[in-house]
Amino acid sequence: MTDLAPATGAPAHPPVTVATNSGVTPPPELSARSRTTERVIGTLALVGTACTVWLGLWVTPPDRTQGDLVRLVYVHPGVAWVALYLAFGLAAVSSVLYLWPRTRSLFWDRLAAASVEVGVVFNVATLVSGSIWGKPTWGVWWAWDARLTLTAVLLVLFLGYLALRRIPAEPEVRARRSAFVALFAVLDVPLVHFSVNWWNTLHQGATVLNPGLTLKIHGSMAWTLLLGFVALTLAFVWMLLVRYRIGVLEDWLDANELDAALAERQAEGAESDDGTGMGGEPGDGAPTERVGVA
Amino acid sequence: MRYVVAGYVVILTLLVLYSVQLVWRRRRLTRAVARAVSAGGTAAMASSDPGRGA
Repeated sequence: MTDLAPATGAPAHPPVTVATNSGVTPPPELSARSRTTERVIGTLALVGTACTVWLGLWVTPPDRTQGDLVRLVYVHPGVAWVALYLAFGLAAVSSVLYLWPRTRSLFWDRLAAASVEVGVVFNVATLVSGSIWGKPTWGVWWAWDARLTLTAVLLVLFLGYLALRRIPAEPEVRARRSAFVALFAVLDVPLVHFSVNWWNTLHQGATVLNPGLTLKIHGSMAWTLLLGFVALTLAFVWMLLVRYRIGVLEDWLDANELDAALAERQAEGAESDDGTGMGGEPGDGAPTERVGVA
Repeated sequence: MRYVVAGYVVILTLLVLYSVQLVWRRRRLTRAVARAVSAGGTAAMASSDPGRGA
């Protein structure tokens, strides 16, 4: 995760060491170590998920009450854990760190944005897999149950966060308002968590993160559940690394694409003036001042 | 059991599709950045050529 080093100060990107004659400074390259880390995490996530599926569908025994339906416990709480606690929790922490003047950096804003996007995917997976589990268990695909409803509200709130980020604005303005929205949206997470304790709900209580922190599942079922949590957590970390890099590249293009386009037009102009004596003083065509922000 | 299989298929498909989309997006942006950098490089070389405009 060496590519996730915070860059303090006004520039959107850490300074690069590669000097070019282009007039456009390229974004920092991923180090070989970062690439290796990313590949290792991705491979472990893939292997872990495959093992979870194999154990969950073929090795673990059926439950006395739920029968084979209990096999959904190896993936459904895992995706919920990633969405609610890891992704949206990380987005909230990153947003606080962005808003805190001493740690303010666009690094935290990009991390929050990446985390929310990945979290939304896991949130959708949580709702859909929960609905599939609900049909044979409760007899309905959907119930306006406290936990289900609050989880759906959470999805809508973070979809709003992603929509807000698409409104054109200066990076600092976008980062500040996104941070406030993330902190508002994340208030729903404790409501989702405690909904099964505070209200009468169809949804069962917590299997692992219950008030007494006592495992209500044992043996191979417990190990498979744990493996599912680890595998999906690794998948989240891998997605976060890739999505963060996308944010870096997008920000760089926003800030430099205009520079590159202007430089290209100047080059075209210089070529068309070639031999006419209208090219101006040498150095006139130097790359323009940076127009973009960040 | 079909509900169980459906649950696994939905989750895994969603995650795989999103991962593929992430890799594709990153590749596309990396190419766009390389294009922008090389365009800037060509422009800088053309415009700083002292022989031009003489």
